[in-house]
Amino acid sequence: MSFFIQLIVSGILSGAIYSLMALAVVIIYKSSSIFNFAHGSMVAFTAFLLWSLIVQLNVPLLISLPMFLVCLFGIGFLIQRLILQPLTGQPLMATIMATIALGDLFAGVVTLFWPGTGRTLPPVIPSHTIRLGRAVLSSESLVNFFICGICLLAFSLFFRKTKMGLAMRGTAEDHTLAQSEGIRVSWIFVVSWVVGILLAAVGGTLMSSLYGVNFVSLHGLGMKSLAVIILGGLESIPGAIIAGLIIGVGESIGAGYLDPFVGGGFSEVTPFLILLTVLILKPYGLFGYERIERV
Amino acid sequence: MLKKPCGTFDETYEKDTALVRTPFRWVMLLLLLGGIFFLFPLIANNYFLDVANNLGIMIIAVIGLQILVGFCGQISLGHAAFMGVGAYISAMISFHFGWSFWIAMPCAAFFSGLLGVVVGLPALKIRGFYIAVSTLAAHYIILWVILHGGKLTQGTSGLPAHEIQIGNFTFNNEIRMFYLIMIFVIAVIFLVNNMMRTKTGRAFLAVRDSDLAAEFMGVNVFRTKVLAFSMASVCAGISGSLMAHYQGIVTVEHFTLSDSIWMLGMLIIGGPTITGAILGTIFLKILSQVVLFMAPWIGGIFTAFSGSSVAGFTQIFFGIVILLFLVFEPRGLAHRWQIFLTTFRLWPFKTPL
Repeated sequence: MSFFIQLIVSGILSGAIYSLMALAVVIIYKSSSIFNFAHGSMVAFTAFLLWSLIVQLNVPLLISLPMFLVCLFGIGFLIQRLILQPLTGQPLMATIMATIALGDLFAGVVTLFWPGTGRTLPPVIPSHTIRLGRAVLSSESLVNFFICGICLLAFSLFFRKTKMGLAMRGTAEDHTLAQSEGIRVSWIFVVSWVVGILLAAVGGTLMSSLYGVNFVSLHGLGMKSLAVIILGGLESIPGAIIAGLIIGVGESIGAGYLDPFVGGGFSEVTPFLILLTVLILKPYGLFGYERIERV
Repeated sequence: MLKKPCGTFDETYEKDTALVRTPFRWVMLLLLLGGIFFLFPLIANNYFLDVANNLGIMIIAVIGLQILVGFCGQISLGHAAFMGVGAYISAMISFHFGWSFWIAMPCAAFFSGLLGVVVGLPALKIRGFYIAVSTLAAHYIILWVILHGGKLTQGTSGLPAHEIQIGNFTFNNEIRMFYLIMIFVIAVIFLVNNMMRTKTGRAFLAVRDSDLAAEFMGVNVFRTKVLAFSMASVCAGISGSLMAHYQGIVTVEHFTLSDSIWMLGMLIIGGPTITGAILGTIFLKILSQVVLFMAPWIGGIFTAFSGSSVAGFTQIFFGIVILLFLVFEPRGLAHRWQIFLTTFRLWPFKTPL
């Protein structure tokens, strides 16, 4: 029983990061209906960028964080203006391939400039284990969980209470209508890309504080968030959060109980098995808009 | 479909349905075939023959993907995995049972086709982007199964496959394989070309342009989509089987997600026709060879960074080329080729673009 509780707790802790990752993609999809396949590479790229600023160039945290934010803003702006704006009105295949090619670009930059493995971010908090009832967890993952929670909360407040959030929600509903209300839709797209990259960077940083700055695991994390998004429904923000927790727990339980039988690495495919099941049974996810279309 | 030059009339039904319409085109086709079969093996050394063989194997797979993506409008991110299924089934039959290629290849084609049907089944309920994600999931699951197949697939160490034989004649060097692969490529091109002129082929195009309109016209949309998936997977299976027996060993590294993406990139660069698939494959393969040739030079520049710079540089190059094509040349090389042909047909008049 305590093994089960342990699995659930660690699943929830990693699930919170998945939720954050999924949110980054959902934001972009909601406003511009472009699905960001480059997400995994972007997570890795931002984590490596931060590592470079803090460890390699040894810039103090108070200067490096604003520099990092400026970089993210510039990247988001350039992606939207140079690549995705010209593709407006092209078929679905074009936007999918554009984000995939973008992902390759980021992945290539990471392999070119930061080869090899074994980088770690400097620890911010002391590491020791905490006992929570019967479950044992590390202080880092608990702090990460709280940071995730704060980010999710801050984001939903931004989305609900501010004028920019309102404009983004309006754009998500209908582009033409939003434009007629005086919202600059192209600007909203830029903002949503910036927010998406920002969330990706937060998730990447949290993940690399646990497992080190490593391209394969960060990229895999981004890819797993695909499953989260599909499960939660493409357009739904609460869906992304709940589905992140479900996938985290499912992955942890699947790995805990099935790994001895199938020879390890089962947590790599559990999210995708869940994804396929969801696509077959309930294709629009738990909270997505159900479009009635018969094929 | 090529337009006829001025003054060519179809007097009989046979003439109207012929694939090659004019004597001039026959001459050009025979020249091309002669160039492939006689001239190229004469002038090329083993290295170029090897490149051409891999190119031919790739063309078969990419034409399969073209049926699915370019003609039927479904997006697959797992095509390399289907190729892997074909390669592994072929190698398993060859290695565990010791049967010949001529039994292993149809089996590989059949089973990957069957798997294509299974992956295509969600097409009943979902479309567009969701199909892409479900094939992506299928890719991860297939690769995981191959890696954890135990003795059957030999996991990471790879599975050997026998050389292809007819009687006592063994296809054991590049030039023999070149002829075999080119015959397969030409057969696939011919069959797919013909298939696109049948009811099924027209149904693919109708489904691509609009599901709803196609269904309204009496096309069984679900059956058409599943058929496209299975045809694509059969092509992938054949290509994977050829690859297994050509290289003599199959490993998972040949069938990664980035291979699927490269194939989609070939389609983007080529454009939505069979010619496009061929041109796109050739273009990207040549590009990757150029990067390989430039490797020492790139290594010299980026020596401060790493030894793995070539892999990173290839990825960056690929990403930029795809993005440039998407933004500036969305109709692909096939469109350019079409303009080139039209220029010749209409000369000395101007080509309308």
